[in-house]
Amino acid sequence: MIEDRELDAWREQWSSAADPSADFQRNFQRKVQQRIKREDRRFALGNVLSVIAFVGILIFALYMRHQSSWMGTGWATSICVLVFVSAGIRIWVLRRTWSPETQSTRAFVELWYKRVAARILLLRISTYLSIGWLIFCAALIAVNWSIIGQDVRAHPKAWVALLVTCVLMQPAVLWYGAAWLRRRKLAELNEVKKILDEMSGNSAP
Amino acid sequence: MSEGRHDLEEQFDRILSEHGAAVSRLAFSYETVASVREELVQDIALAIWQALAHFRGECSERTFVYRIAHNRGLSHVWKRRPPHQPLEEIEESDQPIDPRPHPEEQVAQADRRTRLMSAIQSLPVAHRQMIVLMLEGLSHAQMAEVLGITENNVAVRLNRARNMLKDALGERP
Repeated sequence: MIEDRELDAWREQWSSAADPSADFQRNFQRKVQQRIKREDRRFALGNVLSVIAFVGILIFALYMRHQSSWMGTGWATSICVLVFVSAGIRIWVLRRTWSPETQSTRAFVELWYKRVAARILLLRISTYLSIGWLIFCAALIAVNWSIIGQDVRAHPKAWVALLVTCVLMQPAVLWYGAAWLRRRKLAELNEVKKILDEMSGNSAP
Repeated sequence: MSEGRHDLEEQFDRILSEHGAAVSRLAFSYETVASVREELVQDIALAIWQALAHFRGECSERTFVYRIAHNRGLSHVWKRRPPHQPLEEIEESDQPIDPRPHPEEQVAQADRRTRLMSAIQSLPVAHRQMIVLMLEGLSHAQMAEVLGITENNVAVRLNRARNMLKDALGERP
């Protein structure tokens, strides 16, 4: 019975310590309604922007397609392929990893682990895809050098500026950006694994 | 507004009024700073709203709410590391003031409360969840349903979590 008295005492302390304040309770419903409206608007705006971006890319690809050169056709084809391949890979890698918050805590944490692992894989694929894209662009320029070369000779400063920008973006985006994101995701993976171990009773008390 | 949405809003309001206080208490185990805790409680309410349309009564409404609250709490812990705050940093400002006399007893009660909260927040998340569900008065079967483990497992882990809580409170010899 000592155990029960102990539990009762804890419960009493718990409910008195953690009960929400009266002010918070008064405003809670209103604030939640505001958050819901804000999230609804954000969701709708996100969808609209995604559609605009997708249609914009396709229009740009079509515009490039009608430029009467190999390069135009190449750009158009590669942009379309890149968009569909990226979307396809993303959907494939992240399949069955959407946030299941209504499931039990264990199922949620297991799926959380899968989701983080999938994102790390996606990051690796994206890096390879970016490098592949750069190689493709270089090959396209080499094949069309007779046309591009004339433009380079006509506007050398603009091309040098473009080249420098591209070279500077490589370490910033591909190296530091991807490495930072990977470190963050690996830390998250370790944390989720720790929670899973705790749930399985494998952690040291 | 459509009829379905109206029904959903009514159900949501009812859930918040029935389980709102429990959700707030639960958020206390994941976040000590009052303003951030308020955000967390709103996050949990938002998650309940988003999941409500897909709720088909596979489990009790209480289990549904506790699952979402704990899962959101876990995500919150990851986003806001380090999760534990030392005893002296725990806020007292939003705690109710007991109007009864005996100031010494009030001080002692407040001290016990603060120690309990700090001890709970110092536990690993899996044990913290067990303790919070126990303090909320859930049965072993309900706890098993929320956490996704067997009832036997609940009993074993609850015992371990209680011992850890006693250690954290310095109540075990």
